[in-house]
Amino acid sequence: MLKILLPTIMLVPTIWAVPAKYLWSTTLSYSLIISLISLTWLKSSAESGWSFLSPYMATDPLSTPLLALTCWLLPLMILASQNHTAPEPISRQRTYITLLTSLQIFLIMAFSATEVIMFYIMFEATLIPTLVIITRWGNQTERLNAGTYFLFYTLAGSLPLLVALLLLQNNTGTLSLLTLQYTPSMQLSSFADKLWWAGCLLAFLVKMPLYGAHLWLPKAHVEAPIAGSMVLAAVLLKLGGYGMMRMMIMLEPLTKELSYPFIIFALWGVIMTGSICLRQTDLKSLIAYSSVSHMGLVAAGILIQTSWGFTGALILMIAHGLTSSALFCLANTNYERTHSRTMILARGLQMVLPLMTAWWFIASLANLALPPLPNLMGELMIITSLFHWSWWTIALTGGGTLITAGYSLYMFLMTQRGPLPAHIISLDPTHSREHLLMALHLLPLILLISKPELIWGWTA
Amino acid sequence: MNPYILAILLFGLGLGTTITFASSHWLLAWMGLEMNTLAIIPLMAQHHHPRAVEATTKYFLTQAAAAATLLFASITNAWLTGQWEIQQITHPLPTTMITLALALKIGLAPLHAWLPEVLQGLDLTTGLILSTWQKLAPFALILQIQPSNSTTLIILGLASTLIGGWGGLNQTQLRKILAYSSIAHLGWMILILQFSPSITLLTLLTYLIMTSSTFLVFKLNKATIINTLATSWAKAPALTALTPLILLSLGGLPPLTGFMPKWLILQELTKQGLAPTATLAALSALLSLYFYLRLSYTMTLTISPNSLLGTTPWRLPSTQLTYPLAISTAMTLCLLPLTPAISALLIP
Repeated sequence: MLKILLPTIMLVPTIWAVPAKYLWSTTLSYSLIISLISLTWLKSSAESGWSFLSPYMATDPLSTPLLALTCWLLPLMILASQNHTAPEPISRQRTYITLLTSLQIFLIMAFSATEVIMFYIMFEATLIPTLVIITRWGNQTERLNAGTYFLFYTLAGSLPLLVALLLLQNNTGTLSLLTLQYTPSMQLSSFADKLWWAGCLLAFLVKMPLYGAHLWLPKAHVEAPIAGSMVLAAVLLKLGGYGMMRMMIMLEPLTKELSYPFIIFALWGVIMTGSICLRQTDLKSLIAYSSVSHMGLVAAGILIQTSWGFTGALILMIAHGLTSSALFCLANTNYERTHSRTMILARGLQMVLPLMTAWWFIASLANLALPPLPNLMGELMIITSLFHWSWWTIALTGGGTLITAGYSLYMFLMTQRGPLPAHIISLDPTHSREHLLMALHLLPLILLISKPELIWGWTA
Repeated sequence: MNPYILAILLFGLGLGTTITFASSHWLLAWMGLEMNTLAIIPLMAQHHHPRAVEATTKYFLTQAAAAATLLFASITNAWLTGQWEIQQITHPLPTTMITLALALKIGLAPLHAWLPEVLQGLDLTTGLILSTWQKLAPFALILQIQPSNSTTLIILGLASTLIGGWGGLNQTQLRKILAYSSIAHLGWMILILQFSPSITLLTLLTYLIMTSSTFLVFKLNKATIINTLATSWAKAPALTALTPLILLSLGGLPPLTGFMPKWLILQELTKQGLAPTATLAALSALLSLYFYLRLSYTMTLTISPNSLLGTTPWRLPSTQLTYPLAISTAMTLCLLPLTPAISALLIP
């Protein structure tokens, strides 16, 4: 564990000490090396499920894919930010990479925490670097509002979570995940217990986000710079999913009845946000709402509490992380050339940037869950487990799949096909950096087709 | 100010607090509080500005009223129980009167109305002394009497956090913002008093460190309104980058030091079975967080290449000693991992 954490922490002095002309290449190569070492976590060997055990940090098959995704994302973020931060003074560039790295440190500690309060503190700690990235490096004035929404929605959910966790600690005497799974289930029947149940889950539902509490997400994703959008979509939303999956063990037996409205909200959110995507003019906003839609499926899969549901949720989280981050990078390539997010202003790009069209194609197909990509595997397992719970959900999930296919194809056709507008006369050709970025996103996704056991979670 | 006079006044200030700390007799404690009040009055009015004189007068009237109430309550206690020991006060009537008198002294809601106006009339240095040093002596008494009328204390606590949050939302003057922040933090301290006075002490100490950092940052930037903060990136760029973290620490966000008292208070409240109170107090902290966030936006998160929000003043090199600011900032940002050590020191 420390062999990943300490190099990441030491990346911060590296950023400040390295000469200016080697800043980006050094940070990129070091973070790539760290992410390659993090792949060793994927081989979990312990019988109890917990590997690489230390008193405060451990990995298990649930957290390992998320940790690998987090470590993989740092070099991608650095690669994506190189161009748009180039005009800034060097100390601002160093500060930016320091923020990305500190976010990485908090995320590694959050996913590997064995004590739930440590997870909580790291969960909250990720808010500060993300807030600074969105509000300082975002490009429009709306970013201040976006930062406020982001901070306050998350905190309003997570402060009751803190009280709920402290109540749990009083009850069970410990909050160590290693032993919590063995504590006898509590007698939960009173109204106060139901409030406690809601308090435990609310923070994660806001973070995921659940449809009713999702307003922060389009704002934050749209206003953030590319690295901010990538980390938000790929990892920070998954913090919510991961937290929910950890807490579910302790929330029995109330979940059987109390989860009804939340499952319905989640599924309805899939339909609603999917439909909103069909009417979007802002490209990043479309991808943001598509994130809400996919995470609605994840939330429903977790709340249903079956093994296929959990496995499907985890697979979909990993696959969606890679896909959504890839789509944001593609949207950013458009934004860097036209400085506008309006889709119709940069249409028909297949004529101008045909190599990029190949990446747009693969990413859009991944978004609409084409077999044999893991996106489909995750969605199918969740849909099946929901169908087993209640036949009626197939209307919502099936409709959701249809609408997802609709807006993903809409996004592809709108940006790539069709006539080229007359005003696009000089667009930069695609940089190899951008090709590398897209390849590093989509190749792991394609490779996961052949060994999905890596991201199956406990049922492996 | 004449250095001899300044020396005498500062000596008096120190002596007053020390007398209150060292006393076990109510009359001596009252004397220490009065000495504190009298010593700081000339410091507040030293600039002879009408606004400063107004602030001084308001401060004197409220503090004198509080001290008189304290004296009256201790005499009542002497009548009722026949002794003057500070720690032996048990009869509910004098206990309640002393609690309210001390609440007026430090500025707890609903006895808080004087604090924003008084702090606004002072310069930042005297304001710093008012917010930090002047809280020590009353808290020494509060921690010793250990009031047990829970309803009063919880009302004082929750009212302070809510009023401190809501009151600061409409302010543009930095000193008033810091006054409301003070009220909110004092609310947290009083909330936990009856369950664990040592956590009150810990909250007080962390509050003193965080608010000293903030005052010193504002002093360095010579900033009294929010717009002035917008040009701080030109005066002290590294400090401008750090100040949002100081402000968010005041707001109680993990992983900064300000989270430590909130965490320990919520833990103790839930252990005592007061989970709804804990939730309400935690959510009221979000109100204060909003104006701290607004300050960080103006100061750091909207710096160039965005357009300037304030008019650029003369940027003269600052003669302020930065050593205290460096120490208090380091403590404001980095003490959370030491929570087990600090709570072992302070909490029996």
